[in-house]
Amino acid sequence: MRQLFQTRTILLLITPALSFLALFFLLPLVFVLADSVRDPGGLTLQRYGDFLAQDQTRNVYLRTLQLGVIVTGLAALMGYPAAYLIARMPANRRALAMSLVILPLLTNPVARTYAWLVILGRNGFFNQAMVGLGLIAEPIRIIYTENAIVIGLLQLFLPLMVLTLVSAMENIPTDVEEAARSLGAGGLQTFLRVILPLSADGLVLGGTLVFTGSITAYVTPAILGGTRVLMLATLLQQRAIVLLDWSGATIIAVVMIMTTLLINGLLRQLRPRSV
Amino acid sequence: MKKSPLLYTAFIIVFTFLLGPFLVILIASFSGDASMAFPPKGFSVQWFQKVLDVRMFRDAFWTSLQLAVASTLTALVLGTPVAYALVRFKFRGQNVVEILFSLPAIVPELVLGFGLLQYFALRMNMPIFPGLYFGHTAILFPYAVRVVSTSLRNFDPAIEEAAISLGASRLKSFLLVVMPNLRAAFLAAFILAFITSFNNVSVSLFLTGPGVATLPIQMLAYMEMYFDPTIAALSSIIIVITFAIVQTAERAFGISQHI
Repeated sequence: MRQLFQTRTILLLITPALSFLALFFLLPLVFVLADSVRDPGGLTLQRYGDFLAQDQTRNVYLRTLQLGVIVTGLAALMGYPAAYLIARMPANRRALAMSLVILPLLTNPVARTYAWLVILGRNGFFNQAMVGLGLIAEPIRIIYTENAIVIGLLQLFLPLMVLTLVSAMENIPTDVEEAARSLGAGGLQTFLRVILPLSADGLVLGGTLVFTGSITAYVTPAILGGTRVLMLATLLQQRAIVLLDWSGATIIAVVMIMTTLLINGLLRQLRPRSV
Repeated sequence: MKKSPLLYTAFIIVFTFLLGPFLVILIASFSGDASMAFPPKGFSVQWFQKVLDVRMFRDAFWTSLQLAVASTLTALVLGTPVAYALVRFKFRGQNVVEILFSLPAIVPELVLGFGLLQYFALRMNMPIFPGLYFGHTAILFPYAVRVVSTSLRNFDPAIEEAAISLGASRLKSFLLVVMPNLRAAFLAAFILAFITSFNNVSVSLFLTGPGVATLPIQMLAYMEMYFDPTIAALSSIIIVITFAIVQTAERAFGISQHI
């Protein structure tokens, strides 16, 4: 009797939200998936073959993955020192540092990316400064290159890496580090053999977030890459809105979902269970 | 423990990289002439005046505000019972429910917008605002469920049981005992979800249409037509407001833990 009552309560609690999610989230995704393999005569994977066979789509896909890897690597490289210092700060200074770190994540993406346009443009701040200092003879093109996209994505997603690394490193007692030091380990060795293994879980989680975020972001590649340097997200928009090629756009959409789900699943396996 | 100067240098580089662009845009928005340059030529506040005069920004601002409030409240009202069920009960399929409600944070938002456009807006003639509302609410569920369940987990069930054993119903004890104690969590979830909706481009991109655009979508459209400091001025206003909210929220309840 009590069991029955509980089941009813649980259903009452989750059914409204679940119906909403099923109707306005799962259903459209299932339709997209179904359309990607549907053919007048039955089922087909032909369009996926085309996606990989055609130069443009394949190259955009490979570029998207490549830029994702680069951004993730740079985020780890820059994230560790920052997160380490933040994790060891007293509470009030840490709150200030954290509120500054998360600012790019919570700022309007157009506002955030527009700033890079002003900095990286042909007559932008960066080029003016470099020419002024005599480091380059004439302005170089950064905007509408892969570099510009990497810079924009890094600013957006580095905060996620710092956040996860800070919470991973907060749990490492300072004693462990001091023990390593007193046993003769240098700074680098302490990092590689003590800090890195103990924060690996945060690194994997942060890496997943940064990578999947980077390969699906729209505003950054749209503004900083334009139509010259397309990524999956901007290609999807172009196919759907500009070219009205719905079946092509559908394939890109499914490739995006599958890639993010795959990466999430794979890296979840990688994460140590201890934490 | 001694920390090397190398570490501090890296720290400063990271913060300059993350925050420098915001300073640049703040300064550039006070430009004296119509060219978008940094350092700016001259000084004026004319671009801020122009932001207020442009009608499409005003309309888009109201659309975004209504959309963010509606979808945030819906996600919280529907998501809180789910969080409660997940924390207070053990049931079959619990894992599945948990994964389902984290899925909108994993699936690319652009794809959701694309799906909603194709199957709801185009084939079923769903009007623009409801389309935006459903899409935004869906992506806010993970925030609502995660933030509320985290703080529910830290709330001693004994207090709730005491209320029930004194004769309150489960609903009454939730409303009168649990809810007031989760104030901070609800506020954190509200702020995070609101900002997420208000800034969203990826879901909205395919779903906006003639006459109805959200603020970020309208900013993108404006940028394609003009390259003057108006967007810089609008961006500055947004950045300053975001900064104030984030500062306050971090001090009040450590909002960075909930992201």
